[in-house]
Amino acid sequence: MIVCVAVVGHQNNPLYIQSFTEADDALKLHHIVHCSLDVVDERVNNPKKSGPLLNETFLGLLYPIENFKVYGYLTNTKVKFILVTTDLDVKDADVRNFFRRFHAAYVDAVSNPFHVPGKKITSRTFAERVSTIVKSFGLTSAV
Amino acid sequence: MPPVAPRSGDSIFANLEHMNAELFTLTYGAIVRQLITDLEEVDEVNKQLDQMGYNIGVRLIDEFLAKSNISRCVDFKETAEVIAKVGFKMFLGVTASVINWDADGTSCSIVLEDNPLVDFVELPDNCQGLHYCNILSGVVRGALEMVSMKTEVTWVRDMLRGDEVYELNVKLIKQVPEEYPYKDDE
Amino acid sequence: MVREVAESCVDSLLTEMVASYCNRFYANKPELAARRIEAIGYQVGHQLSERYTMERPRFSDHLEAIKFICKDFWTELFKKQIDNLKTNHRGTFVLQDNKFPWLERISIDPSTDKVNSAEDDSFTTAENKAASTISMHLYYPCGIIRGALSNLGITCAVTADISNLPACSFVVRVKA
Repeated sequence: MIVCVAVVGHQNNPLYIQSFTEADDALKLHHIVHCSLDVVDERVNNPKKSGPLLNETFLGLLYPIENFKVYGYLTNTKVKFILVTTDLDVKDADVRNFFRRFHAAYVDAVSNPFHVPGKKITSRTFAERVSTIVKSFGLTSAV
Repeated sequence: MPPVAPRSGDSIFANLEHMNAELFTLTYGAIVRQLITDLEEVDEVNKQLDQMGYNIGVRLIDEFLAKSNISRCVDFKETAEVIAKVGFKMFLGVTASVINWDADGTSCSIVLEDNPLVDFVELPDNCQGLHYCNILSGVVRGALEMVSMKTEVTWVRDMLRGDEVYELNVKLIKQVPEEYPYKDDE
Repeated sequence: MVREVAESCVDSLLTEMVASYCNRFYANKPELAARRIEAIGYQVGHQLSERYTMERPRFSDHLEAIKFICKDFWTELFKKQIDNLKTNHRGTFVLQDNKFPWLERISIDPSTDKVNSAEDDSFTTAENKAASTISMHLYYPCGIIRGALSNLGITCAVTADISNLPACSFVVRVKA
């Protein structure tokens, strides 16, 4: 289950963060997202470690922490997407598929002429699309 | 002389040079946003968008008549149908319908369920008075004026404001016979 | 399905946008009109580079990003690539389009402008007017290029050179 997704700007400014848990752990999830940003920077600045992933937008598993797994994605425009899940057995293809759809939703949201680059994404359409994508996580790979 | 059978909007659209709508959509959006910054008042933005549309309509009518095989429409009723069924399809790739004719055939509504101007658009709270698509009403008014029909075009429904469709009311004010300084077609 | 519109929609919109800014909103302040037109282009370029880089790996240097503008980005917009790319290897890139489509399609026929520019015809000759209309139109694609590159992390200034019409060169100067 996806418990949190986030969009973070190129100066590590949060643009969108949404958690999907009943439990009152938003603060903890925000902290996990925050910590993951350093891992992204390290990955990108030391590409040797990621081997064949060189310059690919999908950064893979950033790190496991407690019961969570944290995945990252970095667009060409230096915007970070972070995914936090509680699933232990996550298929790489599912995560890639998630980020691809998430990226498409993000691109449409910033194509709104009234969106100001670098400002928080307040679009309701975006929030709805994200929630749909989150709900269908892991269900689509068979299609 | 009866008008030559107009070609359908679909067949004309297929023959025109067309392009991915994204550039059009984003350019229009950026213009609207810039106008809001420069003109400050939403009412003034509405007015200027309408004026821009009017100027475009005045020019676009030539291409429209040339490519659609329509020599001249007989009356307002026929003209409105042609604009909706052929014009919108030909330029924007969407089909409009005409409803709500009044008894004497001088007022109707053009209804659009979809429109490439508004892809990605969500109006911010401080722009609620904005008729985002106001350029379209100007285009319709300008084009009609070039075929001697003075009209008033106003928005009745707007999906960006939560309505089910886009609805433009087109009201014929007066028909000026042959006051077309434009050119002789035939 | 990809949505499409008639090319003349974009052409008419650009012609009218430039005419409105130059003849109505900032009739006596061409430099302000130019800045606004460039700003409209910048926003569009910023958004387009986000869209057009969606399914590709990140660029590793400036040259790669500029090549992307010359190839994929230009093809999306104009169905053709930039014809020639030159660089001095010190941050200046010259992107030459031998037949820039927007210049081919802009109507600079004075009759098309008569609706709103009747009053300033006395100031300028038709020829001057045509030249300044062309350069006003070019602020838009310059803005698009600057917006696209800026979103890819490259801060730059972009100007257009039309000394070789119908060729048009866009000069990108990267800020250190």
